[in-house]
Amino acid sequence: MPLATARGRTAGLLLALAGALLVAVVVLPPASLVVQAFADVWRAPALVPQRFGTRGVQLAFGSGGAGAALLTSLAVATVTTGLALVLAWPAARVLGERRLRHPGPVALLLAMPLLIPPYAVGTGLTEWWLRLGLAGTAAGLVLAHLTLVLPYAVLLLLPGFGPGLRRLEEMGRAAGLSGVQRLRWVTLPVVRPTLAAAALLCALVSWSQYGTSLAVAPTRPTLPVLLLPFVGTDPQVAATLSVLFLAPALAALVVTVRALRVTT
Amino acid sequence: MTSRPGGRRGDLARLAPASLTVLVLFGGALAGAVRTSLVPLGGPPGLEAWRALVHSPGFGEAVRFTAQVTVLSTLLAAGAGLALAAALRRRGVVARSLLALPVTVPHLLAATLAVLWLAPGGVADRLLGGLPVDIVRDRAGLGIVLVYVYKEAPFLALLVLAGCGPALAEREEAAAVLGATPWQRLRWVTWPAVRAPLLLGSVIVAAYAAGAFEVPLLVGPNFPATLSTFAYEATQGDVVTGQGQAAAALLLVSGFSVALAAIAVRFARDVEGA
Repeated sequence: MPLATARGRTAGLLLALAGALLVAVVVLPPASLVVQAFADVWRAPALVPQRFGTRGVQLAFGSGGAGAALLTSLAVATVTTGLALVLAWPAARVLGERRLRHPGPVALLLAMPLLIPPYAVGTGLTEWWLRLGLAGTAAGLVLAHLTLVLPYAVLLLLPGFGPGLRRLEEMGRAAGLSGVQRLRWVTLPVVRPTLAAAALLCALVSWSQYGTSLAVAPTRPTLPVLLLPFVGTDPQVAATLSVLFLAPALAALVVTVRALRVTT
Repeated sequence: MTSRPGGRRGDLARLAPASLTVLVLFGGALAGAVRTSLVPLGGPPGLEAWRALVHSPGFGEAVRFTAQVTVLSTLLAAGAGLALAAALRRRGVVARSLLALPVTVPHLLAATLAVLWLAPGGVADRLLGGLPVDIVRDRAGLGIVLVYVYKEAPFLALLVLAGCGPALAEREEAAAVLGATPWQRLRWVTWPAVRAPLLLGSVIVAAYAAGAFEVPLLVGPNFPATLSTFAYEATQGDVVTGQGQAAAALLLVSGFSVALAAIAVRFARDVEGA
């Protein structure tokens, strides 16, 4: 028995150590971004900045153009996600209910954009966007992002549909509910968690795009396109833009934890 | 099998919006890249861009370096992902959510963090009073591999964990009751369940590591370049011939990723059938 408790204590200690390591690797680096964003003067080798201030914010939003880039990123992510979910919904339904005899070709088609470098997709589309007048426009960005977000939307919506939902809908039909009523009271409540997760991840995929955005619209920078050059030249501005860039990921984490808590 | 209004034709019609959109956009992108690589600005079509790419100095080195970074990142991420999954299998929601954080962090942000922390004068450098090895912009591509492993190991771990549901635990218990040793349980019960998600996830990781260029651009060395940074630099150098060479280099990476995926799918099928 004493041996068992000693072993239990060692295991507990190891677990605590692993937890601390996980927190250090996962939580500490993003937290350091906030410090760096407000460090007006931080000369090496000091561990704490010599002076705090808002130089980074002023530069980023002043000459840096962070406001416009933030708006572009938000608008493109929102519109792309909306379009992707609407287009993906019927396809995910057919695939999720396994109604297709040969799902192979469709799966292959949807997997292809995940295998090709995003910069290649952007470069290839630019060839046409220049002719169509879409180069450098928000619409051009949305369509380019849609190429990569739509496959994710189908894959992420897929698990929401299945025979269980079908049975509930049949019951609704038998109870005399109209199509709109079934969608509102049966389908949406069942699919909502999957839909929310899919929307969140699709928005993140668009939000994180670098190669496609750079190729398609170098003159209308999204947040990541704006951020990259600052990493080498001005760490404080880079950190400020990174905090903006990280915000949706943190929001996603909070929402996920809450959703998991509710379902488990 | 219940039938629905519209039946098979209706199903195809429901698939059409997503499939046709991807077909037009992705097919268009591919056709555009091929066209860019074959038809130079203001010149007759030809293989000039491809020839120039293959003969340009640094191309061979870029192929080798891309392969090295891709293989190392994928193998290390797969190993670390499996270890993470094994450690967190019986943990709760909080541990898994922490694991999910790096998955939601954009690659560019992970690379930015690597530079702000690990480059000379960075936070880790100050904390430790100097790092024992160069990680950022080192010639071996250590920084690139590190960023990819940080990002992709949790991604693969989550995929593997998704394959380890309660059904797998039941089968493992059944095997234990039947007298299987821990090693036999791992080999014949656990591994077959996690192999497919691990393999297919690894292909996505390899394709990304081979093709994305924001990470090597920030934490990679100036030389050698990866094929994708090579492509990017070509567009920055010569406006007329650069685009064609860039497209050719990117198509080369694309071909590699598709071939890898085909092999992996085949392999996953073979072992399932065996």
